[in-house]
Parts: sequence; structure tokens; C-alpha cells
Amino acid sequence: MPGKDEVQDVGASTKVPVWGYVALLFALVFFSGIFSGEKSWLSVFDFNIVNGNFGTMKDPAKATFTGMGGAGARDGYLFALGLIPACMLALGIVEVVDHLGGLKAAQRLLTPLLRPLLGIPGIAGLAMISSMQSTDAGAGMTRALRESELITEKEKTIFAAFQFSAGATITNYLSSGAALFAFLTAPIIIPLCVIFALKIFGANLMRLYLNKIVRKEDLRSE
Amino acid sequence: MSNKSLPDVFVEGARKGWNIGVSSVIPNVLMAFAIIQVFRITGLLTLLGTIFTPVMLLFGLPGEAIMVLISSWLSMGGGVGVAASLYNAGNLSNVHITILLPAIFLMGAQIQYMGRCLGTAGVQTRFYPVLFLISIINAAIGMFLMRLFA
Repeated sequence: MPGKDEVQDVGASTKVPVWGYVALLFALVFFSGIFSGEKSWLSVFDFNIVNGNFGTMKDPAKATFTGMGGAGARDGYLFALGLIPACMLALGIVEVVDHLGGLKAAQRLLTPLLRPLLGIPGIAGLAMISSMQSTDAGAGMTRALRESELITEKEKTIFAAFQFSAGATITNYLSSGAALFAFLTAPIIIPLCVIFALKIFGANLMRLYLNKIVRKEDLRSE
Repeated sequence: MSNKSLPDVFVEGARKGWNIGVSSVIPNVLMAFAIIQVFRITGLLTLLGTIFTPVMLLFGLPGEAIMVLISSWLSMGGGVGVAASLYNAGNLSNVHITILLPAIFLMGAQIQYMGRCLGTAGVQTRFYPVLFLISIINAAIGMFLMRLFA
């Protein structure tokens, strides 16, 4: 679990290198799918294009290396094996974006929005970004924030509602979700935006519930 | 920023992807395909599909899609696997998958995350039911919204 110092390494003093913003912009474009239909070299800025295709079999219109007409565990195994490249490519790129400071840039951009959007202080920015990547890291940092009294019990509960629905969004969406990207009729950024918007909406339902139904003195107990 | 070269950083991330793939994606998807196979052979899939047709129709989905939601609740990888399996068998179309995708995550893995998220963060247990309900509401709204984009 991260210590108090680590949790506090969030404030406006955090230096974001300019590459951070470039990397973040790149990641947004790359995973957005806006260049997916592109015929020119610009298509290299699309995740699905770079992820490529497996070779096909006899009836190339339908069959991939998994063949046709499979079922059960064996079919599931081959199908899942086909998901690993997307998973490795996506997390490799996220790691590079993080290394260049892209996640720091996202954190910096999100921090001033936390109070108006969720009613929680900007200091929770790092925990929020971490929770998008790892459920365990986000929850651990949230606990540390509460134990250091940097957030109140109410703020912690609202924040937990945000994290609980679609936990580790980025990691899960890009690893497991990638299995379904090829079937989508919308760009892959759209479901992700819907998820993010509803996470915020859900946290505000919790905020409303705590404000209207739970009495203040009740929240301090336990 | 450390001095690691970008290819090294990429490989490190790709290795994380491999580990998630091997330890989570493959077992979860395999389980989902196996479960669907059992449900298909026993006729339970058709039965559930018939029962839930009216409810799922609200979201523009066939009855069988309920299996995706139930298995998502247990594990996101499982939900994705069930969706893929039903797609491969022709039970779900591209539009259906598009409608379902956000819901798989919004109400996903709640049983696991009860411990890993709520437990770790030390959320008071009396709020758990509300938190579960909010996630399910999120998933329902997600499906309605995706109908507009699908």
C-alpha cells in the first residue's frame, strides 16, 4: 500500500514534461479508432491496424487460424490465444505512454475537475489514474488517503463508487475488451467514453444518496 | 523519467500483457466457452433466451444476451468470452456486441471487486448493496446509450 508521501505526490507542483502531453494525445488518437478507415499511411495511428490480422484458412472470408465450426473449451482456448497479441500490444503502448509522462499529464488535466465532477479533492488525482489501471492499486491508495485524513469518509465512499463500476477500466478494456473490438460497429473510443461518463454518473448517484438519505453523523460512525 | 530505452519499456508492458493474457484472459474465456457449451447442449441457453427475451428487447438485444450480463458480473473476461462465443455461433450480431460492450465492464467482476476494491478501500459494508445497484444501473444506461451509436 502506498504511503502518505506517495499519495501526496499529486499537487499542482508535479512537473509534466511536454512529451507527456504529446504521448497522451497520441494514446487518445491511437486507441480512438478515428483512423481505422484511413487508407493512407495515417492508418498506422490506429490500434486495430497495428494489431493486424492472423493469416486465414480455406474460406478466408470467415475462418481465421482457429478454423470454423469449433465449440467448447478448445474453441475458447484458440480464441483466447488470438487475444494475447492485442493485450500485449495495448499494455506495451500504455507502458510507453506512462514512461513518457502521459499518465502524469492525464492526472494534471483531471485534478482540477475532480471537485466539480465528483465532489472529491484534487489530491485524489493520482489514486484515480491508478484505479483506471489497477483496481488493487486504486483501492489501496484510496485507503491511504482516508487514513491520512486527506479525504473524508463521504468522499471516500463516493470515490469508491467511481472505482467499483468498471474497475481498472483502461487495463480491462484494452486486454479483455480487445477480444470484441473487431466486431464493433462504432469506433472503440465510444464505448470507453460511455463507460467513463457512467462511472462519473454512478459516483454522483452515490453522492446524492449520501447527501439525501444518509445523515451526516451516521457517516462518521463505524 | 528513468533512462530505460523505449523498446525496453514497451517490452516490459507487453510482458504485463502476456501475464494478464495467460493468467486471466485465457482461463476466463475458456471457462466462458465451456459454460456456453454446457448451456447449449442442455438446452438451458434456449430456455434462458426465451425467458429473458422481453427484458432484453428493451435494450435491443436477444434473450441469450442475458448470459453475457450474468457472466460479466462474475468476471469481465468471462463476459467477453460468452459474448464472443455467442457471436461466433450467430446468436449475437455486431450491433448486439456494440450495445453490450460497456455493460460488460460497468457491472463487471463485482463479486471479485467487492473484496479487491471495496474491501481494500475500507468502504462501510452497509453501502455495498447501493454500490452494486449503482453499477447495474450504469450498465443498463450504458446499453441504452450504445443503441444510439451501434
